[in-house]
Amino acid sequence: MRAKVDSSLVARFSPLGITSLVTLFLLICVLRTAAQQKGAKTVSASSDPVLQAMRQELARSKSQLKMDNVPPPYYIEYRVTDLDYYEAEAAFGALRQSQRSRSRSARVVVRVGDYKQDSYYGPGTGTVDLAPLEDNPIALRRQLWLATDQAYKQASEALASKKAVLSRFTADQPFDDFARAEALESVGPLAKLEFDPKAWNQTLQQSTALFRTDPKIQSLTASVRFRAQNLYFVNSEGTVTRQGRATYYAMMAGTTQAADGMRLDRSPYYSAASLSELPTPEKFQADMAAMFATLKDLREAPEVEEEYRGPVLFSSDAASDVFSGMIGGNVLGRRPKPGESARTEGDFASSYKSRVLPTFLSVIDDPTLKTFNGKTLVGSYEIDDEGVRAAAVPVIQNGELVNYLMGREPIRDIPASNGHGRAGPGQPPVPSVGILVVQSKQALSPEDLKKKLIEICRREGKPYAYFVDTLSGYNPRLLYRVYEKDGHQELVRGAVFNELDTRTLRNNIVAVGNDLLVSNREAQVPTTVIAPSILFDELEVKRTDAKNAKLPEYPPPDLTPPISDARIRLIPSDRRR
Amino acid sequence: MNRPILRPAVCLLVISCCIPWGAVSSGARTDVLLETMQHELQRATSALSKSNPTPYYLSYTATDINGFFIAGANGSLIASNGFQRRQADVIMRVGSAALDNTHSHSRSTGILSGTLPLNDDPDAIARVLWQLTDREYEQAAAAFLKVKTNTAVQSEEEDKSPDFSQEAPQIHLGDSRAHISLDQRAWEGRIRRVSSEFLKYPEVYSSAVVVQVMDTRSYLATSENTALVRPSAISRLIIQAQTRADDGMELLRVESFQADSADQLPSDSVLTAKVDKIAADLKALRAAPAAEPFAGPALLSGRAAAVFFHEVLGHRLEGHRQRDETEGQTFTKKVNQRVLPAFLTVADDPTMKELNGERLAGFYDFDDEGVPAARVNAVENGILKNFLMSRMPIKNFSNSNGHGRRQPGLMPTGRQGNLIVTSTNTVKESDLRLEFIDQIKKANKPYGLYFEDIQGGFTITGRAMPQAFQVIPVMVWRVYPDGRPDELVRGVDIVGTPLLSLNNIMVTGDTLQVFNGVCGAESGQVPVAAAAPAMLFSEIEVQKRRKGTDRPPLMPPPGLNDMAPASKAKPVASSGAKP
Repeated sequence: MRAKVDSSLVARFSPLGITSLVTLFLLICVLRTAAQQKGAKTVSASSDPVLQAMRQELARSKSQLKMDNVPPPYYIEYRVTDLDYYEAEAAFGALRQSQRSRSRSARVVVRVGDYKQDSYYGPGTGTVDLAPLEDNPIALRRQLWLATDQAYKQASEALASKKAVLSRFTADQPFDDFARAEALESVGPLAKLEFDPKAWNQTLQQSTALFRTDPKIQSLTASVRFRAQNLYFVNSEGTVTRQGRATYYAMMAGTTQAADGMRLDRSPYYSAASLSELPTPEKFQADMAAMFATLKDLREAPEVEEEYRGPVLFSSDAASDVFSGMIGGNVLGRRPKPGESARTEGDFASSYKSRVLPTFLSVIDDPTLKTFNGKTLVGSYEIDDEGVRAAAVPVIQNGELVNYLMGREPIRDIPASNGHGRAGPGQPPVPSVGILVVQSKQALSPEDLKKKLIEICRREGKPYAYFVDTLSGYNPRLLYRVYEKDGHQELVRGAVFNELDTRTLRNNIVAVGNDLLVSNREAQVPTTVIAPSILFDELEVKRTDAKNAKLPEYPPPDLTPPISDARIRLIPSDRRR
Repeated sequence: MNRPILRPAVCLLVISCCIPWGAVSSGARTDVLLETMQHELQRATSALSKSNPTPYYLSYTATDINGFFIAGANGSLIASNGFQRRQADVIMRVGSAALDNTHSHSRSTGILSGTLPLNDDPDAIARVLWQLTDREYEQAAAAFLKVKTNTAVQSEEEDKSPDFSQEAPQIHLGDSRAHISLDQRAWEGRIRRVSSEFLKYPEVYSSAVVVQVMDTRSYLATSENTALVRPSAISRLIIQAQTRADDGMELLRVESFQADSADQLPSDSVLTAKVDKIAADLKALRAAPAAEPFAGPALLSGRAAAVFFHEVLGHRLEGHRQRDETEGQTFTKKVNQRVLPAFLTVADDPTMKELNGERLAGFYDFDDEGVPAARVNAVENGILKNFLMSRMPIKNFSNSNGHGRRQPGLMPTGRQGNLIVTSTNTVKESDLRLEFIDQIKKANKPYGLYFEDIQGGFTITGRAMPQAFQVIPVMVWRVYPDGRPDELVRGVDIVGTPLLSLNNIMVTGDTLQVFNGVCGAESGQVPVAAAAPAMLFSEIEVQKRRKGTDRPPLMPPPGLNDMAPASKAKPVASSGAKP
């Protein structure tokens, strides 16, 4: 890289013209996530050629890596992530994408200094490169060798610039830069991706062929993303781990427009750690038909009134989105930038030992759960991506925040990891949710919860209350009025919530259901949220301010008659003549 | 980001990120894709003719790409993927040819892209095209209103040419699908073998061998009744290796090969010999002294001169640059004036498939706007005559000459194809060196510089930046007039201003040499070639390349003097992976 110039002004000539795409690749890496799987037996580290090569190179680096005037590393870690990935998509009854790819990335962290203060800062947070796909020890060690060399050199620069930054602040940091962790050796079974691509592609095509039945459907797609990830980890403290997992994800999406131009969409998905938990082709088709029907219903549904303030019931599906983002996103022990005095980042930075939820609610994060109500959990793991054994962490007890989910970067009052340092392939580890479980001592049955909704509605003299079935972000996608008089439901469209935030969670949840739902969340780091339906005594529902889009400028194309089996069979006989 | 060695592999992986898996391919005789495109285009054109503002031009392009990509390093694969995808580009122009939505900086509103079904399902193809067209209309109509307002408000432009040229429609349905021999497994073995050769050379820190095989079929249908189906196939093999000098300077060697099909790529023995050559070059470069700032006589090999002309002259001949007021417009007002020594003629000729038996990467029959490719004599006997034109007219040049090129997803601009530099002032290659030494003596310089190979470069044509250019010479030798042997130097960068340096050419060799590559600019990456004879410059100015600060790796590579306790690793040279 030479001068930094506006890329549109730069014309380049190179043998392949390819360098500009590096970032794109990294992005793709980021988009591809972790997964999980179990079974088989544990084996020893020495029998795995990848781990063996990593250990050899680590031992060599540990004993030999040393630059003049720079202390040798006090900590080195190698993480190799092997990802086998399949992605397919169909639109309008035809396959648009079907691809399988495998990649391996190697991430190397070298720390200079000591546990109290080290070089993990800016360029000192590690180096990443591609690693060989095959178990070829020399090829892998060569990549590690260069990545380690670079990481060490960057670490020495990082420590200097970190010290310069910290010297601007007077207060001494009351906690270490890096938490100590005990060495452990655990070699788990390798995950494999096993599925029938043809059958899945057919399911995707058949289900999206439903577009033929409704010209007002503007797009209809279905897709799958299957991934098997095997993570190899070694560090200079003696930890050696290998963990495999697989995740299976399927989704469908449709869009349409109401007569007034309002865009309406749906995108239900399925996610599990076992392929057998994804829907059968018949079930997938039926669910597609159901989604299709709700799009039609949404189109014809009345718009929500300008403003409503009153009781709102969230289904467990909608509630899991709320708990995932507003609780899960705020109980992470993320250290703020140097010089900032807050304990963590996020809404609960100053809420330690304070009430953040109603007293009848508790929240625990327990990645060691394997299944719940017979369902696999994608957020399940035994050892985190920093080589620390996962622990069940009660984070909120009777409404009070008592702990944070921690990786190996300590924060004020929490000096050690509790096994929640997790990372996407090639990414630095960060504290993350594993399996977040919302517990209550006084859960109601769904029927009683609905009764309670009607009760509050009656008390406030309202003709109806609201029930949210699914969310899109933090706004309702499927929202129903529930009438006080006879309990019947009416779908509405065009609503947003006003002020749905952590304060509302603390003050306005009045009851929860006993209908705990497993919500597996496919992301860079897969997580699971197990949450009940929740009842708010007061929440504001508003009509959206968004301007309606224009309707299509011209009608969609006419359909050709489907080709019958008979016609297909005619072709070879024609040829014979 | 100091180790770009694996980056090409990484990058190509992205290009080829669609991997087929049980993908469908129809063997139908009639072309369902083209027919569906044409039918849907007609429907859109007639439906949108009632809209206000009205589109006056609509085109659909489908790019059907099929192939595989394999990368290896140190005897192991890093990537091996097959890929198949079909991309659709909808290009729409709203308003009139005199002024439309693509005017000036609103150019990107002319295009919208999406993914088409892999199989020939007419209903699904039509739906995707409809969706894209409707959204493109929304974007183009809004942009056109903005363009109209801006034009009314802003000061008059210097070049008042229309936004789109009139061209005759073309119909050409290319041959049936070019066959692609997809022996991915066999190539995996070859890539492993060739890449393991580098393990013999401890001074090569990192290396990669990459093969990419691509079979493309490009469909174009326009509202002007152009209908084109153009098949093309290309296979590329790249060998790249890197080391670092003791003072931290990064040293890189890249060799690439291309052919119409994978089986025409060089044999293993040729590739292995290339690995040995690259390693030897790198070893010599490590030991070579760093270049000193220098201004004096220089001799450029034909390949080096070809890259030099592509960067310094070629990009400045691209038509659209003469119109964009943020551009430097070096040549805009120099038509019919001398811009080169009178003995030099420069043409861009995409219709040439080969030169001296070597395939030219910039060959095509129609450009990406459906205009037939044509030879453009841009500079005749030193006099500037013409520009490389897309359908964007410029003052005094109202038509395309078949140089509107783009990568799928981007709007076309005038681009180079095969840039051919010829000379009437030639001497035999063998005599050129004598002339060179003569010139060094005349200039009273201690030495001259011989540029044997150039890696490619980049050029800045914008007004905001100095009109400088840089090419990255790799193998550069000091040639002494006193008969001492030539001395390799490292870290040479050519600097200077284009017009001056072009006029320093004194004499050329008599044989054209070809540089094939991929050129990136506003309209994306397109394959190009440049050919030129060796050239003697009375003066070229070089600077010392800014070097990296990192020293070479602190430890030797693993496996060499391996001290790891549990290691039973075999000697390095034989420890490549077994498939």
